[in-house]
Amino acid sequence: MFLAILAGKTLAFVIRLFGGGATAAPGLFALKIDPNLVRKLNRKIKLGSVIISGTNGKTTTARLTYDTLFTKYKVIHNRQGSNLLRGIASTLISNSSIFGKIRFDLAIWEVDEATLPEAIKNVYPQTIVLLNLFRDQLDRYGEIDSTRTKWQKALRTLPKSTILILNSDDPGISILEKSFAGKIVFFGVSDNKVRLPAVATVADVKHCLFCGAGLVFDAQLSAHLGHYRCSKCNFKRPTPDISAANLMFKSDFSTSISLGLDSQTSTISYSLPGLYNVYNVLAASTTALNYGIDLATVIEKIKKFSTAFGRFQKTEIKGRQLITFLIKNPAGANEVLRTISNQSRVNLLLILNDKIADGRDVSWIWDTDWEILRDKTDNVFISGIRRFDMALRLKYAGFKLSNNSIYKEVNYSILIALQKMSTKDTLIVLPTYTALLDVQKTLNRTGEKVSKWQKQ
Amino acid sequence: MAKTMTLRICHLYPDLMDTYGDKGNIITIQKRCQWRGINVNLANITVGQSLSASEFDLYFFGGGQDKTQIIVGKDILKKAQTIKKAIDGGTALLSICGGYQLLQKYFKTKTGETIKGIGLFDAYTLGSNDRMIQNLLIEMNSELEQDITNNYPTTDDRLPTTNLIGFENHSGKTYLGKNLKPLGKVIKGSGNNGEDKTEGAVYKNAFGCYLHGSLLPKNPHFADYLIAKSLERRYGKIKLKPLDDEIEWQTHKQATQRTRSTS
Repeated sequence: MFLAILAGKTLAFVIRLFGGGATAAPGLFALKIDPNLVRKLNRKIKLGSVIISGTNGKTTTARLTYDTLFTKYKVIHNRQGSNLLRGIASTLISNSSIFGKIRFDLAIWEVDEATLPEAIKNVYPQTIVLLNLFRDQLDRYGEIDSTRTKWQKALRTLPKSTILILNSDDPGISILEKSFAGKIVFFGVSDNKVRLPAVATVADVKHCLFCGAGLVFDAQLSAHLGHYRCSKCNFKRPTPDISAANLMFKSDFSTSISLGLDSQTSTISYSLPGLYNVYNVLAASTTALNYGIDLATVIEKIKKFSTAFGRFQKTEIKGRQLITFLIKNPAGANEVLRTISNQSRVNLLLILNDKIADGRDVSWIWDTDWEILRDKTDNVFISGIRRFDMALRLKYAGFKLSNNSIYKEVNYSILIALQKMSTKDTLIVLPTYTALLDVQKTLNRTGEKVSKWQKQ
Repeated sequence: MAKTMTLRICHLYPDLMDTYGDKGNIITIQKRCQWRGINVNLANITVGQSLSASEFDLYFFGGGQDKTQIIVGKDILKKAQTIKKAIDGGTALLSICGGYQLLQKYFKTKTGETIKGIGLFDAYTLGSNDRMIQNLLIEMNSELEQDITNNYPTTDDRLPTTNLIGFENHSGKTYLGKNLKPLGKVIKGSGNNGEDKTEGAVYKNAFGCYLHGSLLPKNPHFADYLIAKSLERRYGKIKLKPLDDEIEWQTHKQATQRTRSTS
């Protein structure tokens, strides 16, 4: 172990020397030397660890959770991006002495959904937060049914003392209750209507996962999230222990909700947009309260929270405002489009890449309801490796496109878009994951005009 | 003035078999008809609904997850006669991935379970451990190539290519019977089984393939061919109006380049 940590630390030092992030390679290298490194170090954490996983919202939820738990505990978090085992190893290495002495008493691990079973084996989680399961990069993960089956198998191995925090509104998540014998806390949205424009979306769970009969949705909030019950057996949405009601989505992209807990309600206003962030706020609050953070502190931290890398990021260049929303799969993108369509007029820059981290398969853009923005869009610009696929999607959604709205270079597309807009307009930038890295480079390069571009 | 034509589409199990942007194929048929003044009627038919009550010009059958494929597999047996009769009468059909598999004789899963198909295509699929997940570029079979070239309306008499470009994601390996023609030959990718270089199948006006991505938007020649074939049975040979397909062909070209440049 000593050798593995030393090797990891050395590599991290060298990478940083050359300006790299050292988020994965040191861990990967160290795991080669000692495959049990993550296990050994996690065993030493006094209060154990919290795993946060699911298709959408992991990063935001993990950061919110960190902000709240930080008020009481010495906590670490694989904040620097990599949510595979190597990322966990890298974080552990940089927070341990070379002799494996750790300097914290709680860890928050954001975990890739495909890595969850492996993570469960290695990090001895005390709490597991599962947000949702949507179709996402089918080229990488395969179908969600098989991901869930692997999760169920892994959850069965957990000791009863583990606590599971589950989204009651996703039938593909709440069903996991049956694979686990210990304590479960549910969170969910109790409104039966969302005050946002309706979006044509794709639901990935339409049948009861027990008996195969059709699910009935008394309220369908987003994709297959809502208030459901089986038409045949007694599977139904569990009543959440912690809930959100009276969801209000403002035109400045802020939100207010009534947080309900043990028949008490508190209103929270915060600066995160959309229904999807309500779920992130709920998941983080539930976790924090479960770790004994008092409600007032939780509310204060949520209020103050500024978003994670590229997930609703406001930037200003030459008096023009840019807002960046990461898009990566139909369920997430549809919620983003729905949130944006709350605006009266929009200017859009869409950047579609097809690298491994984006998903090689771009067919998901056809499962995304771009039509909802057609009549609100003043200008649309398109960039990225698969820019023509994106342009074609918009053409068939009825957008008016001209050839001079498509640009190969991401950097150039941002500058041109800003140039063509009037100063009072806001440019909404929707990049896929690797495109977001390019966007960030441009925004960083524009120098002092950028207001608080958050470091990753 | 000629009578307004109507193309009647039946989308089979759109609620269950819609995994890979299948909606894009429907939107493409709708828009390309609409731009030419052809009416489109779209019917969504799912489990438990009768198919024989109305007549269609084009069936579309997309892909789904294994679990839903089992539910759909049971139901489609009840619709088998209607579909086969329609295809033998000249109705057009496009099936992709899971839909393509259920129209074959059977699917044998890795665990040895057999899911019966309707046998429209003389073919079968075996589950495997190989992941055939990548961009897929194929060359059209030569008979179709000619037909498609003749059908696609261009103003400058030149069709850029008859190749098809898409994305495949399957582990089932499909093997065609002796007399069944493949849709085409694999240039890059795996196709039916990653072994014999064939991709897809053609029986009369019924097509099966592993190409999504979505397929029809960036293969406008094939979209138009399906439209023409769908209308032909009731309206005779159709001369479709040319459309401005510049973005379609740019997309085709870019996806092709991407496919050729990645391993």
